[in-house]
Amino acid sequence: MDIIKSVFRPLTQIKGRTSITLVVVEALAALLAWEIFGQHGLIPTPSKIMVAVGRIVTSAYFTDNLFSSLSLTLSGMGISIVLALVVSYLSLIPVFAPVTRFIVKCRYLTLTGLIFLFTLLTQDGHQLKLSLLIFGIVPFFVTSLLSIIDSINTQEYDLCKTLRMNHWQTLLEVVIVGRLDQVFEVMRQNFAIAWMMITMVEGLSMSEGGLGTMLIKSNKYIDLSTVFAILVIIFGLGIFFDYLLKQMRYWLFPYTKIEKRS
Amino acid sequence: MNYTKNEVLLDVKDVSLSYDKPILRDINLTIRNIVRPGLDQGQVVSLIGRSGVGKTQLFKILAGLIQPDTGTIMIGVEQQAVEAGQVGIVPQNYLLFNHRSIHDNLRLAMKHVTLESKEKDALIQDYAVKFDLTEHLKKYPQQLSGGQRQRVSIIQQVLTGNRFILLDEPFSGLDALMIDKVMDLLGRVATLHEWNTLVIVSHDVENSLAISDTAFILAREKDKEGATITETLDLIEMGLAWTPGIRENRQFQQVVSQIKHKI
Ligand SMILES: Nc1ncnc2c1ncn2[C@@H]1O[C@H](COP(=O)(O)OP(=O)(O)OP(=O)(O)O)[C@@H](O)[C@H]1O
Ligand SMILES: [Mg+2]
Repeated sequence: MDIIKSVFRPLTQIKGRTSITLVVVEALAALLAWEIFGQHGLIPTPSKIMVAVGRIVTSAYFTDNLFSSLSLTLSGMGISIVLALVVSYLSLIPVFAPVTRFIVKCRYLTLTGLIFLFTLLTQDGHQLKLSLLIFGIVPFFVTSLLSIIDSINTQEYDLCKTLRMNHWQTLLEVVIVGRLDQVFEVMRQNFAIAWMMITMVEGLSMSEGGLGTMLIKSNKYIDLSTVFAILVIIFGLGIFFDYLLKQMRYWLFPYTKIEKRS
Repeated sequence: MNYTKNEVLLDVKDVSLSYDKPILRDINLTIRNIVRPGLDQGQVVSLIGRSGVGKTQLFKILAGLIQPDTGTIMIGVEQQAVEAGQVGIVPQNYLLFNHRSIHDNLRLAMKHVTLESKEKDALIQDYAVKFDLTEHLKKYPQQLSGGQRQRVSIIQQVLTGNRFILLDEPFSGLDALMIDKVMDLLGRVATLHEWNTLVIVSHDVENSLAISDTAFILAREKDKEGATITETLDLIEMGLAWTPGIRENRQFQQVVSQIKHKI
């Protein structure tokens, strides 16, 4: 009884078991409602979607498509983070600061207008997809990284000075090594953007397949249960990678797991 | 008491600083090496003033972290202009590198010390035993209490080999027992070397005076903008220095309450 009361009281801390139960119950309720009231609607019901998921996952072409999407995302993310890091670190050297500021503003450029240019500049579909992906992610990465650098307490630089570090050692200690865990966190948060963009760029060059290609093809045939099934798969994979990156962060930087005291 | 004041270790001349308004003006002070036979007696000096008067600004000027608008700060027996890195600082919030363990934080302070790696570790172990930190060496700063972090911060600065250490509000946020411990720690740091000089910047009159040999009062004079040193207390001459339990002394308590009215 107390438990039931507590879940309705504002600003109440609930324990792990209770919160998991809440999630499960609410999700089941939503799915059940969908199943019952969605029988004659346009949107396929969960049971039909799950059947489609099962069919897709066991089909021969699924692994190829999945692998294609994953390898594209991972290589895009990898290259982007390296580029973004270089750009962000360079922003601390006055000569390079204007360039960095420009790149950050590129968030507001829309990719669609540049697709033609990129098509001319790149040699094949793979390169086109990769460069669009990178061009799309880097400004977001740089923005997040710069805000991390901005929020460094100047006292930390003072401490380096009193420990007789020069400017380069200070950069290494405070900005690079000292903030590596937060770089990882930025990667995790922006993985969602990359994952979202992947389906879009895959639609532009379908020769290599991929989850995005699958999505567009099923859309064309108005095969809604397959569309939804692919969405479920994309959603699930996204959540899985989010979790994986979070665990990796704890493992690589154990001090991030320490409960923060204010 | 048997002592002499010898060569000048720190000389501050005509320092002033303004932002949109004057903060500090005409700051002049000298710290001399105190010599007591049979002891490595360092110096403990406090700069006392009320909140917002400009203590932290003066602290940063003395550390060479900001340049004053006018004036000079000469440091050491060679009397050279101060540069960041020659003076250790323990800031108000005991900042450490959160991504390094306590041991590594301390090791970082010894980058410029010419010792074998093993000797450095032994030295850290030594200090850890002396100052109650052995069980915390492997932990990260955020796993330590405020008082423990402060001790690490102080030891970190001692390990750099700096003879001058500035401390901003070393007693704030500590309970009575911890304050006694910090005072004990500072007293011991001061007697590690003849030239060791601790400069305590604080609004806590009682505790600052209790461990100092000299105190400078930083305050605003009537009708004048900007704070300056309005009074210098020679606690050795007053017979109030280097005495454990001095806070219970009547004469000391009188001095404390006088100063409290002046700041
Ligand atoms: N960057 C700045 N620009 C303008 N005014 C400043 C700046 N930094 C400090 N001040 C002013 O200088 C004065 C002195 O500040 P300071 O931090 O030295 O005070 P304090 O004596 O250390 O106080 P506390 O005991 O509360 O720490 C304050 O009035 C503050 O508003
Ligand atoms: Mg202050």
